[in-house]
Amino acid sequence: MLKRFRVVNEAFPETPEILEHKREGNKVFGWLCTYIPEEVMHAAGILPIRITGYSKETELEDGNAYLYINNCSFSRSCFQMGIRGEYSFLDGVVGGSTCDGARRLFDLWRYYIKTPFHHVLTVPRKQTQKAHELYYDQVRQFKQHLEEFLGVQITDESLRHSIEIYNESRALLGRLYELRKRPEPPITGAETMEVLNASFRMPKELFNQWLRELLDELAETRNTHKGRARLMVVGSVMNNPEFIQSIEEQGGLVVTDELCTSTRYWSDPVVLDEGMTLLEAISKRYLNGFPCARMVPSEERFNRILGLARDFKVDGAISEIIRYCVPYAHDLPLLKDRLKAAGIPTLALDVEYGTSGSGQIQTRVQAFLEMLEAKGK
Amino acid sequence: MIGSEKRSNKISAIIRACRLIMRMNQSRPEARKSELLYYKMLDGYYSRLLNARENGKPIAAHTVFFPSEILYAMDIIPMHTETTTWMMSLFLSNQAEILSAGAELGLASEICSAHRGLAGAFSLGALPRPDVMLWSNLICDNTAKSGELITEINDCPGFYLDHPFQHSRAEERYLIGELESLIRFLEEKTGRKMDWDRLSEIVARMDQQIELCREISELRKAVPSPVNIRGYLQLLTVDYLCPGQPEAIEYLEALRQELAGIVHEGKGAVSPERFRLMSLFVPPIYLIPFLDSLEQEYGAVTVAEPLFTRWAAGRLDPAKPLESVAMKFSLIPERCSMYGPLDERTLKDVAQCAREYKVDGAVYWAFIGCRHTCAAMRMFKDALNEIDVPMLTVDCDIVDPTVNSKEEIRGKLVQFFELLEDR
Amino acid sequence: MYMKALGIDIGSLTTKAVILDGDSILAANIVTSSDEAELSARAALAELLNKAGLSSSNDLYIVSTGAGGKSVSLSQQQKSVTTCLARGVHYLAPSVRMAIDMGAESSTVIKVNERGRLNDWANHDKCAAGTGIFLQQMAKLMQVSLEEMAELSLQDKSKADISSTCAVFAESEVISHVHREPPTPKADIVAGIYFSVVSRIVSLCKRVGIEKDVAAVGGVALNRGLVTILEKELGCGVLVPPNAQFVAALGAAIIAKENIEKSLGR
Repeated sequence: MLKRFRVVNEAFPETPEILEHKREGNKVFGWLCTYIPEEVMHAAGILPIRITGYSKETELEDGNAYLYINNCSFSRSCFQMGIRGEYSFLDGVVGGSTCDGARRLFDLWRYYIKTPFHHVLTVPRKQTQKAHELYYDQVRQFKQHLEEFLGVQITDESLRHSIEIYNESRALLGRLYELRKRPEPPITGAETMEVLNASFRMPKELFNQWLRELLDELAETRNTHKGRARLMVVGSVMNNPEFIQSIEEQGGLVVTDELCTSTRYWSDPVVLDEGMTLLEAISKRYLNGFPCARMVPSEERFNRILGLARDFKVDGAISEIIRYCVPYAHDLPLLKDRLKAAGIPTLALDVEYGTSGSGQIQTRVQAFLEMLEAKGK
Repeated sequence: MIGSEKRSNKISAIIRACRLIMRMNQSRPEARKSELLYYKMLDGYYSRLLNARENGKPIAAHTVFFPSEILYAMDIIPMHTETTTWMMSLFLSNQAEILSAGAELGLASEICSAHRGLAGAFSLGALPRPDVMLWSNLICDNTAKSGELITEINDCPGFYLDHPFQHSRAEERYLIGELESLIRFLEEKTGRKMDWDRLSEIVARMDQQIELCREISELRKAVPSPVNIRGYLQLLTVDYLCPGQPEAIEYLEALRQELAGIVHEGKGAVSPERFRLMSLFVPPIYLIPFLDSLEQEYGAVTVAEPLFTRWAAGRLDPAKPLESVAMKFSLIPERCSMYGPLDERTLKDVAQCAREYKVDGAVYWAFIGCRHTCAAMRMFKDALNEIDVPMLTVDCDIVDPTVNSKEEIRGKLVQFFELLEDR
Repeated sequence: MYMKALGIDIGSLTTKAVILDGDSILAANIVTSSDEAELSARAALAELLNKAGLSSSNDLYIVSTGAGGKSVSLSQQQKSVTTCLARGVHYLAPSVRMAIDMGAESSTVIKVNERGRLNDWANHDKCAAGTGIFLQQMAKLMQVSLEEMAELSLQDKSKADISSTCAVFAESEVISHVHREPPTPKADIVAGIYFSVVSRIVSLCKRVGIEKDVAAVGGVALNRGLVTILEKELGCGVLVPPNAQFVAALGAAIIAKENIEKSLGR
C-alpha cells in the first residue's frame, strides 16, 4: 500500500494523476505555504498541488542567479524547477506574504516564469480578532479573483463539499499519527513522510481512498518498529524521507514531527459554525492553525510542539533548519529552552533542502542517541 | 547582571564621539552649519537616552520603520535599535564583541548581523535596558522575529506591530487597528497618555520634513551633484531617529540652503565629477568614511538612492494624525518597494530615477544577511540593463567587517569605475 | 612619436604579448612568467620585438594588464583584464556577447555589448575550482599530464561523481576514486573533474545572464574536451578563437592603439 505513495512522489511533477487531470481539461494550481486555503481552489474544480523543490541536494545555479546565494535552498530549488520549465503545466500559482524567501520566490516567479494566474494573499502574523477579519477579506478577494479568471461561480455547495474532503484527509492523517503514539508503531517516520508528500501531489479524493486502505492494512499488520529512542523532528520545510530514514536507521524512531509538510499542514479541521460563512470558517482554520515560526507570539507554536512531545512520549527532538531560514533560526534558542525545561534534549542540525542526511549528520545523530540512552538509564 | 554603569557605557561613548566631532568642526572655518546641526541632533538623541532614567522617562526600544512619532507624542524616549547598532560600529568598532555575544545566544550566523549584534549588545549590557520593546515586520523576517528574544533578555514587555503586505482597504483598516493597539499597550505599560495635539504637531512637521527631503533630492539632480555618500548616511539617520522633530527640520533647512548655494555656484560634492552613481540598498555603515574618500579620489558621487531617499508623492494631514502616521508608511521608499509585491512599477521607477539623475552606473550593496534585497538584485539589474546602465554587485555586510575586506571592495569599485570610463 | 601599439598580459603562469601594425596583428608570443612581473614583461617584450623584426622599444605605446599588470614600469597605461578581454573578444568576434576567460588562477565571465564595451563581469573571488591551477593539481593527483588528461576526456566514458562544490573537498574525492578497489577508470574521473569545473563556470554565466554568442578564451579554453562539456551544459555553441590565450593582450594592444589615435587627434 505504501508503494503507490512512493510512486507518486518519484514521478512528481509528472505524476500520472496530475497529467490526467489536465488532459481532462481541468486546471492545476501550485501553492506554497500552509496558509493557502486549498479548499477554495478545490471548490473551483482546480487540482491544488504544493510547490516543492528537487528531491535531493543539487546544484542550484539558476536558483542562485535569481534568488542569490543567501536565500534558503528551498526557495532556490523551487525557483530553479520553475525557470527550467518543470512546472510549466501549472495554470496558476498562489502564495502568501509568509516569509522573505517565499515572497521573493513569488515576485520572481511572476516576473520571469509568468504562470497565467498569479495571486498573493496577505497573511497576518497575529491571530487576533482583527487579524481574522483581515484574513477573511483576503480569502474573499482570492475567491473573487479565481472566479474572474476561471469565469465560474464558486458556490457554497462546492465549498462545503471541498471542506468535507479536506477535513476527511485531515482526520485520516490524524488516525495515521495516532498509530505512531504506540510504543511500537506500525509505520516509520520515513514512511509517514512518503504519505504526506503524496497528499499534496494528487487529487485529495483519491488520496483519501488510498489512505483509508493503508490504515486498514496497518490495523492488521504485525510489522512494527521499535527504536533506541522516540524522536520528534521539528523544523520548516522537509520533503525528504531519506533524511528521516537516515535517523531511523540508527535506531532513532521518529514518532512525530512538526514541519510545514507534516503536522502544521494537516492538523486542525475547518470547523463549521452557524454564525459564520463557509469562507470565514476556512480563513479562520488556516490563520488559527498550528503556527509557523513566522507568527507572533512564538509561544503558541512552542506550546503545540510541547503538546506533541507529550502526546507522543518523545525522548528527544531533532531540529532541522535549512541554512538561511530566518524565522526558524530566530525561534531555535527559545524553543530549545522550552524543550529543555520539559526534559527533552534537542539536537540542532543545519541542513540544505533535499539533504539525505549522510556523513556528518549521521555522526551527530549517533552521538545524540547515545546521549539519550545514557540519560534514560 | 551588569551594573548600570557599564550599561550606559556605549551610549556615552557615542555622545563623546559626537561632541568631539562638533568641537573639531567648530574650529574649522569652512565647516558647514548642517554638519554641526547633525551632530548636535545625534548628541541630543543619545543624551536623552542616557538621562532617561534620571529624568523619569520610559525608554522604548524599537526597530527600523517603527512609528516613533507616536513615542515622541507620548513623551517616551525612543531607542532605534538598528541605527544604534550601526552607530556603535561606526564610532566604536566593537562589532566583533557584540556579534560574538549574539552567537553565544544561539543565533545562527545567517541571521542579519544588525540583529545579531543588537541582541548581543543587549545581552552584554552595552545598551540601556528598555522599559518596552517594540518591533514590526518592516522590513523583513529578521525584524519580525528579533523582538521576542530582546524582551526575554531585558525582561520587559513587548509589542509587535503587524504591517499588512498590500494596500487594500481592509489592510489599511488593519494597520490603523494595529496602531491603536500599540497606543493602548504603551499607555498601559508606561503610564503615559497619548497627547493627540502633540501628535498632530509632529505630523505637521513630518510632512514638512518629507517635503524638505524631496527638495533636497531634487537638488541632487544637478550636475555636478552637491551631496555624496556621506550625506546619504546623514539623511538616513535624520529620518530614522528624529521624525517630525524640530532638530530634524532645523538640520534639513540648513542643509537645503547650503545645497542650493552649492548648486547655484555650479560646485559639486566631489571635484571633478566623473561618475554619477546610484546606490541600491545600504553600503556597510562602518565603511562610509572609507567610501567617502574613495569617491573623492575617483570623482565618483552617489547621486541617488531610490530605495531610501526618493519619497513617493503624498501629503500628511495633521488633522488626521493617526491616519497620517499610517499613510507615511506608504510614502517611505523602501517600504513600498521592498515590503510588498515587487513589480514592474518599482522597477520602472528605479529606471526613471536613473534617467532623471543622469546616472552612469548603479552599485548594489549585496548585504549577505539581507535575503529579500539580494533576491531583488536580478530584477533591478535586468531593468537597468534595458536602459544601458551597468550595475555592480558588491558582497558585503552592513556591520561585520570580516565578510569582505576594504581592499576587495575598493578593487571592485575601481574596476567598475574603469568599466564606466571605458564606455 | 609612438607608432606601434603593444599589449602585455602578465598572468601568474604565463605572460602574453601582442603587437599591432595598424589594425592587424604583427606578432604575438608567450613566455613562462617569472616571480617578478617586471622580469616577465621584459622577457616577453624582448622576444616579441625579435619575432616582429623590430630592434628597439622606442616607438611603442604599451598597455599592460593581468595579475602583474600594475607592477611594470615599461607600460604607459595599465588596464584591468576584463576591459582588455572585452576589446580583444570584440575584435576577434564582434557577435560575441558573453566571454568566459578560463585562466590559471581564476575564471571570469564578461558581458560585452555591441561596441566591444564591458557591461558586466563575474568571477569567483575566493574559489580555486574552475581554473587551470585546479586542473593541474587534479592531473598530478591522477599522475597524468594535462595533455593526457585532455586526451582521456575525449574517450567514451561515464562520469564519476565528484559532488563537492569546493576544490579542497573535490581533491579528496579524486584521491578516493584513484585509490579505490578497483580504481575508477581514469577517463571517468576526468569526466567528473571537467564536469565540476564546468559547473562552476556555468553558475557564473547564469549570474550575469547567458547571452549568445558565447566565446571561451584563455589557456584552458584550448582544451577541447572541457569546452564540449561546457557547450552541453550551457545549451549553446561556444566559440574558441585560434589565439585564445592572447585575447587579453590583444585587447590591451587595441587600447594602446586607441590611445595613439587620440594623441594624434584622430
